[in-house]
Amino acid sequence: MTADALARAFAVTGGDPERRAALDRFLSVGFPTPRLERWRYTDLKPIEQAELDFAPAPPDAARLAVVRDLLRERGLPDSEPRLVLVDGHYAESLSTAAAATPLRVSPSAAKRAPSRRSAAQPEEHPLALLNAAFAGGLALTAPRNKTVETPVHLVLAGSGVAGIAAQPRVVIELEAGAKLTLVAHFVDAAAAGYWHNAVIEVVQAERSSLTLYRLQEHDRSAFHTSLLRAELAHDASLTAAYVDLGGRLVRNDVDVALAARGARAEVFGVLLASEGQHVDDHLRIDHLAPETTSEETFRAIVDRKGRGVFNGKVVVHRDAQGVDARQRTDSLLLAEQAEVDTKPELEIYADNVKCSHGATVGELDEEHVFYLRSRGLDEAAARALLTFAFARAVLERVRLPALRELLSDRVRARLPNHEHWENLA
Amino acid sequence: MSMEPLLEINDLHVRIDGKPILNGVTLRVAPGEVHAIMGPNGSGKSTLAQVLAGREDYEVTAGTVRYRGRDLLAMKPEERAHEGVFLAFQYPIEIPGVNNAYLLKAALNAQRKARGEPQVDAFEFMKLIKAKMALMQIPQDFLQRSVNEGFSGGEKKRNEILQMLMLEPRLALLDETDSGLDVDALKIVAAGVNGLRSPERSMVLVTHYERLLELIVPDYVHVLAGGRIVKTGDRHLARELDERGYDWVQAEAAAS
Repeated sequence: MTADALARAFAVTGGDPERRAALDRFLSVGFPTPRLERWRYTDLKPIEQAELDFAPAPPDAARLAVVRDLLRERGLPDSEPRLVLVDGHYAESLSTAAAATPLRVSPSAAKRAPSRRSAAQPEEHPLALLNAAFAGGLALTAPRNKTVETPVHLVLAGSGVAGIAAQPRVVIELEAGAKLTLVAHFVDAAAAGYWHNAVIEVVQAERSSLTLYRLQEHDRSAFHTSLLRAELAHDASLTAAYVDLGGRLVRNDVDVALAARGARAEVFGVLLASEGQHVDDHLRIDHLAPETTSEETFRAIVDRKGRGVFNGKVVVHRDAQGVDARQRTDSLLLAEQAEVDTKPELEIYADNVKCSHGATVGELDEEHVFYLRSRGLDEAAARALLTFAFARAVLERVRLPALRELLSDRVRARLPNHEHWENLA
Repeated sequence: MSMEPLLEINDLHVRIDGKPILNGVTLRVAPGEVHAIMGPNGSGKSTLAQVLAGREDYEVTAGTVRYRGRDLLAMKPEERAHEGVFLAFQYPIEIPGVNNAYLLKAALNAQRKARGEPQVDAFEFMKLIKAKMALMQIPQDFLQRSVNEGFSGGEKKRNEILQMLMLEPRLALLDETDSGLDVDALKIVAAGVNGLRSPERSMVLVTHYERLLELIVPDYVHVLAGGRIVKTGDRHLARELDERGYDWVQAEAAAS
């Protein structure tokens, strides 16, 4: 993807000056390379070198029909409140949430990104600049003191047209005291060598609560990069869950600013990477105010020549006293050539804080395997069940039982030998 | 012992990491019998139980073990389970992410499937397990909790016995099931075990303490020392060991 090609694609979009500025900034920094510490383990060259369409036309009736079928197949019928983006464009005709919930939905994410005290510089997320240059998407607002009872599904679908670089952007605003649960699904209708470069911007006013479950099940030919950027006010709480199962080259950035006293973030996730998959989760939590808390719990299951990366950075800023920050990552390697790189980072500039981090990388415990075999499960079943349990132990943090089972089922279906024990229980 | 033995251990030698642990154990267990294996720490009691259940990090260097006429040592751990061997672990493991109901149902169905029996459905399973849970005084929420996660030592041991009640083994091996139990928990465990005693079912209890054997009365008591059975007696031997310790037995064995 040369600068010329990007500029040509940009011309098609109509050349809005703000977008133009974003593109120029992107072009001046370029694609991140492994020479940068933050990108040391993840090389985007396959994306950079791919011939991709950055300005796909909004989906026509045929593509919408394909996605409608996909939604049905995935158990996301019209009766469920949902918001659907197809190839990065908001598809109003497939979206039912505006009518079914108190959410205010606007089919444009042009709305400004939240102002940030912490300010990870935009240059730290060059892909977000690229997204800003081309993005389609939507903005939604959860109104003051309202609880949106039913979880809302946010579907970011690829319709299967070859070689699209979809740039969805979703801005989520929670007014004071609002409560919302969103389930984001990343899915593809077909193998098409897509790049999905998603940005989700979250602004939470005081006492608001957002739960964002994210299930990434792209086709194995897809590239996926994402940024979740959230800023939380006084006593706001964010729960974000990352379940990454699909894709070929996946990089997720999570960047949370706990900007006022009492703000809380819980981020947890499970990633599966098998042959031909590279999945990288990069988290940064900024504790900018006193008595803010964060907890990160991630687990990776890596098989064959898969590769998993986890980097969790916690920054406790000056005067952010009474902070409680916990981080824990565990990785399970199922094969000799599987690889995991995990790195916790703590930067602490306050003196009265409670911070902890821990990381393990290992194989299944043979004692556990023996225990299950001594109860009558054959070896393959015992290993498969323990592998699932490794992921499930994190998914138990999902509070809604139906979603907990949904995510567990999707994980289970991707694990080796799952059929060995599933039909026993 | 005129009856065809269920388990026949003959001159069993076992090493772990090159170090000999069992040095010629010979033991016959007939159907319906309860045998207690006692002995000082490090005498090889737990090793014997684990080898019989099929643990793979032990090296059998000599001897044979026949179970219902078959070579037990040639069978995988799961095959042994299918054939009715059950080990109640000394240190039951915790498996976060697998709930008790799930494990028990999977285990029960794996065994039934291997024996060509029909699998239990959810309704049948619940009926079965609720009755056994009541017997073991295990609270209702247990089924949805992860296997042994956050359980006390006593709860873990009760869970082992619950699994045994569900799986109804032919040969139950209880490895220090009494350790770490208070008197009340011990009584519950003993009631569970006694409820399973039958003319077809045999048990081998590995224990340090005589108090278990007052509640589960054995037919034979064996003393394992230095990797060998050095003395065999009836229930009264357990009392004697409790009072006099093991030194006299070892001295007696050394003298003979």
